Amino acid sequence: MTTTLVVQGLEKTYGSGDDAVRAVRNVSFETRPGEFVALVGPSGSGKTTLLAMVGGLLAPTGGRILVNDREVGGTSKRDLARYRREMIGFVFQANNLLPFLTARENLLVPAILGSTDKKEAGARADRLLEELGLTKRRNALATQLSGGERQRVAIARALMNDPRLVLVDEPTASLDSARGRQVVESLIQEVRSRDVLGIMVTHDMAMAELADRVLEMHDGEIREHRAGKLADQVPK
Amino acid sequence: MIGLLEIRRRKVQFALIALIVTLISYLVLMINGLGVGLNVLAGSALKNFDADAIAYSDRAGISVIRSELSQETVDAIGKTPGAEESAAIGYVAANYRRDDGKVNSAAFLGYDPGTIGEPKTTGGRALTAEDRDGMLADSSFLKAAGLDVGDQVEITIRLERRTFTIVGEIDEGAFFFQPAVYVLRPTWDAMKYGGSGDDTPAASIVLLKGDDLPGKKGEGYEVYDKATAFANIEGVSGQQSTVTSLRVFGYLIGALVIGVFFYVLTLQKIPQIGVLKAIGASNLFVFRQILLQVVGISLIGLAISVPLAMLTDAGLRRLPDAVPIAFTTGTFVTTAALLLVTSIVGTAFSARQVIKVDPIIALGQQQ
Repeated sequence: MTTTLVVQGLEKTYGSGDDAVRAVRNVSFETRPGEFVALVGPSGSGKTTLLAMVGGLLAPTGGRILVNDREVGGTSKRDLARYRREMIGFVFQANNLLPFLTARENLLVPAILGSTDKKEAGARADRLLEELGLTKRRNALATQLSGGERQRVAIARALMNDPRLVLVDEPTASLDSARGRQVVESLIQEVRSRDVLGIMVTHDMAMAELADRVLEMHDGEIREHRAGKLADQVPK
Repeated sequence: MIGLLEIRRRKVQFALIALIVTLISYLVLMINGLGVGLNVLAGSALKNFDADAIAYSDRAGISVIRSELSQETVDAIGKTPGAEESAAIGYVAANYRRDDGKVNSAAFLGYDPGTIGEPKTTGGRALTAEDRDGMLADSSFLKAAGLDVGDQVEITIRLERRTFTIVGEIDEGAFFFQPAVYVLRPTWDAMKYGGSGDDTPAASIVLLKGDDLPGKKGEGYEVYDKATAFANIEGVSGQQSTVTSLRVFGYLIGALVIGVFFYVLTLQKIPQIGVLKAIGASNLFVFRQILLQVVGISLIGLAISVPLAMLTDAGLRRLPDAVPIAFTTGTFVTTAALLLVTSIVGTAFSARQVIKVDPIIALGQQQ
């Protein structure tokens, strides 16, 4: 099943009156199935706010988000939790794994939340760990993993429940450039192979150029849409 | 489950909490044991009377010490409507010298053989009408006095010394915080009134068996059930309210300490809770993990404190001056259940905190 994302006239204003801050202003874009999009821009440009709204973590103050023609937002907290559980795979900045769980157990958390069959979830976790080269580290605690390994576990965790959108926040913030590139390449490969959508917020232009498309944000608006210059370099 | 896995992986942190829970539950168990023990000491002999109701003088205010009944009243009590059997009992306290030289008092209960007032002997034999200087002594009396069936014991009362032979052992417990000793009613009369004649009271109380007796009154007497009689033993209500207050404070402190510990733990885990919520965990799921941890830790604490209390009980029983502490299965079950409930109530603070966590913090943004 392919996934479409349509963002129409999206707005987010924090506060009201004279103190109001328009973090996202009339943002509209569409994605193609299997596309990996990088959101770049300076700090405070609204890219994380945009990601949070697409991910159902923040309610927009205007406009709408359609995933497979169904509108996101305006629903209850419980519905948003279900939307995140069933439709979204999040990859956060480093150190967002549960530290007292092993790599494999961290992968099983979304499966527990989604009430997936235990046996099926275990097999899926093992397959993802293998795909991301983590089989030997499956029983290591999150605190015993290197920064790169932790991010690859986070990617595997994001893919556990077979999401339709993979949303990534600064995945290379705590990694050196070589490891950062490996992580982003793994991410793009996984997204493409599953024909889902990927949106990555990053400050790192070198990583952004590996994406299929780059959306550059300034002051809450998308100023530039262009293809990633290095997208062809990511192995198929 | 994630919550239980965290306990396994963070052993030191949770072991410290389990230690606190163990100490609190041990304390509450000991207070409860003390409550039961004091109850036993206060009047287990009264509870063990083979009677459905007890008749007192209507001028005694439900006090065995103050109650005095004439033979005429005793006879009238036996004819109370609904009474099937009756037995006159006399009470007097007298002193005896213990094995270690200390002087203690015992509760001497005068009865008539063959009536419902006669206690069951567990050793030796029962008293006969000829045993004017014989007594049936409770096992606690024999232990404290260092005596056995067949031995003689000197009793001091009304400036007189009187030597009794212990003809039998009983297990009736204590009366007014003293070991119970049973003698014949004429012997009791001689001890208390000097056996001076017909114008002295014939008994302190009358035990009654039959239906619908409590609440009945007659000329010079009134009838109460055993529970009321026990609650009116001098000092019992004050002692029980003290123990109950200690118990309630124990539970409250337990709930508060456990609640604060888990609240602090929850505060430390806010970023993790944010991530869990961001990937779709509900408030209920997160709170369930905390609840599992509280129940798990409380059960570990109870699994240590219950045997510890049992060991303490066994140890205290070996002491010559027995500490008034006693445990029943009910004490353990009730205390454990209440501690579990109060610790769960204590997690209410954490539940509130969990609900307040906004999943947006997973993206490094302010709530």
